[in-house]
Amino acid sequence: MTAGSHYQDRMTEAADWVVRLQADDLSDVDALAFDAWLQADADNAAAYDAALSVSREFQANARAVRQGLRERRPPRTLVLRGRYGAFGALAAAALVAAVVVPAMLPATSTTAYATATGEHRTVSLADGSKIDLNAGTQLSVTLGRHQRQVALAEGQAVFDVTHDAGRPFLITAGDRTVRVVGTQFDVRRRAGHLSVTVTRGTVEVLPTGGAQGQAFRLHPGQRLEHQEGVQGAQVMAAAPEQALGWRAGRLVYRDQPLSVVVADLNAQFAKPIRVADPALAATPVSGVFIVDSEDAVVRRLALLVSAHTIPSGDGVTLLRSETPKR
Amino acid sequence: MEKRANLVRFFAARTGSPAAAEDLAQELYLKLAGRPPGEVADNPIAFIYRVATNLMVDRTRGEARAAARDGQWRGAHATVLAGQEVAEEPAADEVASSRQRLRQLVEAVAELPPQMQRAFTLHKLEGLSHADTARTMGISVKSVEKHVSAALKNLTARLSR
Repeated sequence: MTAGSHYQDRMTEAADWVVRLQADDLSDVDALAFDAWLQADADNAAAYDAALSVSREFQANARAVRQGLRERRPPRTLVLRGRYGAFGALAAAALVAAVVVPAMLPATSTTAYATATGEHRTVSLADGSKIDLNAGTQLSVTLGRHQRQVALAEGQAVFDVTHDAGRPFLITAGDRTVRVVGTQFDVRRRAGHLSVTVTRGTVEVLPTGGAQGQAFRLHPGQRLEHQEGVQGAQVMAAAPEQALGWRAGRLVYRDQPLSVVVADLNAQFAKPIRVADPALAATPVSGVFIVDSEDAVVRRLALLVSAHTIPSGDGVTLLRSETPKR
Repeated sequence: MEKRANLVRFFAARTGSPAAAEDLAQELYLKLAGRPPGEVADNPIAFIYRVATNLMVDRTRGEARAAARDGQWRGAHATVLAGQEVAEEPAADEVASSRQRLRQLVEAVAELPPQMQRAFTLHKLEGLSHADTARTMGISVKSVEKHVSAALKNLTARLSR
């Protein structure tokens, strides 16, 4: 057989197998072929083990390696740093292009996006970033040469930001600015309440427009909650599905006040839900809501907070039950 | 059965740890033991791998990707910014590799050709699926597999101990 003489081929095949077995569309045909490959030569298993072990090592150290890559400054890009830092990674060949590109960039313009009640929308930006708008959301996007700017007037969106170190991505939401380099996270601003949940990468939340308060750097799995006009903010742990579930019609809460849940639901449904008294509105809610029919969702919500519902005008009102269960 | 080592290797491609691959192999054997003998007869190897593939795809859907993220969730740490320079603490489970080894990992990725580096970074380090990586890069899924595989071969040659 080929033992020893085709070391390079074997290493190529081994890497191919690691990747193929991790593919989204893996089938039993692949599995059988893999078994046959292992069987064909005793050295194949060792080559596969080596490739898999390296793959694992990167997976286990994913975050540290990403950070290392960010901090690494290859000397050859120093020429470009500052003015054309964003193009640095493209190396020498890009130098010519980098000089030409700014002249070809279209003039900066602002585009507004809005979703109606119950409407979801995904917007792909020219820089490759993606924004998933939840219902009842208004925002505008300005892609400038030195920064990318989003103003979130109201609502909620998940941002999937393309990495571009030379053009930070800024989201202003009331009296806070969220600053990001390349990552995925959810920003929600409804009725003066801001929350930012990070699922990948790192995000900074800074007071803006002369507002007071601390700046925070958020890492994956963290959520910042802030009431506009208040100086402070809270940072807590958050599961990713809490922030991203709405895209799949699932709203996930852990110890969120009923008012927050109701504000989210009111963005989905035409008939407004009201909460009768402030104490009830402040009741903490934990749970998963499948957003199907409004009646069903309201029924489940009422059960959860021991409230009952009465129709009121064009919507429905939640009232504290007379004899709350203990 | 002499197939066991191969099956563990098969499962290991997607599980977060070798122990989890052993667990899946064990589970496969329990499943197979519960089948009526006639069902397995005509082509036992094909049958075993069909069951194994289903088991693995069910069990580890997105798990490899989740593993990359889980490390982050556990290590999550907010840092109040005094200025722009803030030291970020590594997650507890990332201390496993020494600083010197980490430098080797970073250098090895940094020196990959650009497309390979981008595909590898998006898939392995950012935890995107092959399909999501393809969409992000604007290339086909097959091309992503090709780039990631070429990257892995290169990295294995450099980093294997």
